[in-house]
Amino acid sequence: MRSPLLAAGIALALAACAMPAPVQPWEKGMLAKPAMSFEQDRLEAKYAEHIYSSKEGAAGGAGVGGGGCGCN
Amino acid sequence: MAATRQAPGGAILLAALALPGLAGAENAPEQASISLKYLDYQDRQPNLERVGVHSPSLELVLPVAGRWALRGALVSDLISGASPRYHTAVSGASRFSEKRNAADLSLTRYFARASATLAAGRSKETDYDSRFVSTQATVSSADNNTTWLFGAGVANDRIDPVNRAVKDEHKRTLDLMLGVTQVLGTRDIGQLVLGHVRGRGYFSNPYKFVDTRPRTHDQNSALLRWNHHFSASGATGRLSYRYTTDSYALRSHTVQQEYVRPLKGGWTLTPSLRLYTQSAARFYFDPVYDTRFGAPFPPGFSFAARRDLSADQRLAAYGALTAGLKVEKQLGRDTTLDFKWEQYWQRAGWRLFGSGSPGLERFSARSIQAGVTHRW
Repeated sequence: MRSPLLAAGIALALAACAMPAPVQPWEKGMLAKPAMSFEQDRLEAKYAEHIYSSKEGAAGGAGVGGGGCGCN
Repeated sequence: MAATRQAPGGAILLAALALPGLAGAENAPEQASISLKYLDYQDRQPNLERVGVHSPSLELVLPVAGRWALRGALVSDLISGASPRYHTAVSGASRFSEKRNAADLSLTRYFARASATLAAGRSKETDYDSRFVSTQATVSSADNNTTWLFGAGVANDRIDPVNRAVKDEHKRTLDLMLGVTQVLGTRDIGQLVLGHVRGRGYFSNPYKFVDTRPRTHDQNSALLRWNHHFSASGATGRLSYRYTTDSYALRSHTVQQEYVRPLKGGWTLTPSLRLYTQSAARFYFDPVYDTRFGAPFPPGFSFAARRDLSADQRLAAYGALTAGLKVEKQLGRDTTLDFKWEQYWQRAGWRLFGSGSPGLERFSARSIQAGVTHRW
């Protein structure tokens, strides 16, 4: 786990260093579109999380909370 | 409140001082909304329909006094079918029919460049009762180009299987999350989320033969997401990669791509593709059985010596592919209809970065969702 996490951290640090000039508020029109949000349809996301966690060994990664289930 | 400014090109652009998409939750919703959705799910193995689920759900979002938002959701799963008892063997497993009800509630307080959320929920089945509480916070930089995410949650699950294999067992988990969302350009946003889940208690499956798992289960995850807006078409590409590793020595890689394409007349099409691969848990054993006891006991099995063992297909090494298509239709300003179809295929031979577990049957699943959201 350590090396991928380290790689992700280094990638983020490099990306931050290589960042062009900060985007100004009046340049964010496209970024404000709903499709650009990381938070999408919550009910759909819950279904997806429940379905995948019931048939795969890995789960989660995008948030905290949410109860477990039998899912046998 | 967003201000406007005349851009050099002459077009009036929104000065989105606080973006709804930047971190997902730092802007109070301006409208209340109610969403209803229905899921129909069916999974299969060759010549066998395994588990089917019918699942209606409801979500309500209420803005309060401009600085608060209350969110509540209910879901009910009606599940029926047959699960394998070991590896992919379904023969001998009793068919089951079960109902799960779940509810959660969250309250978010919004500040100028921050938000704080408290949430709680419960999921209840005949043999499984889970309760959780969680908290999450976001803090943005002065220019709103960087947002930090912090989260923590605890869950307490009680397991009381109907076959009495165990009684009043518990599982407790602690979730921790740290993330950062960064505006990368006028058309790009990226996000990195690191997660750690610490679990203690009963993780075995009481309905499977020879399933004894460690009483500790820790998982680490890293999730990278990147959204890109295509100016020419008005479409959005959404790419994500997730890496997980856990104390079972199970490693997984997930890549997901969505392409959100708005069309004329209020229609939006979103095709999606997901690739998943995982290694086997260290205590998963292949379907090679002891010559004395036969299936499902692994070679050298001893009833006297307790050791961690599982023949659960979900802990095997395999790869999976999901293809999906979502269709949305905007009706007027405040109502949206959506329909989504997804097909999932799982094959041992599709595992990446290694070979898949031998002897697993092919597995597939189909899900259909239909929903409606109304805002006021």
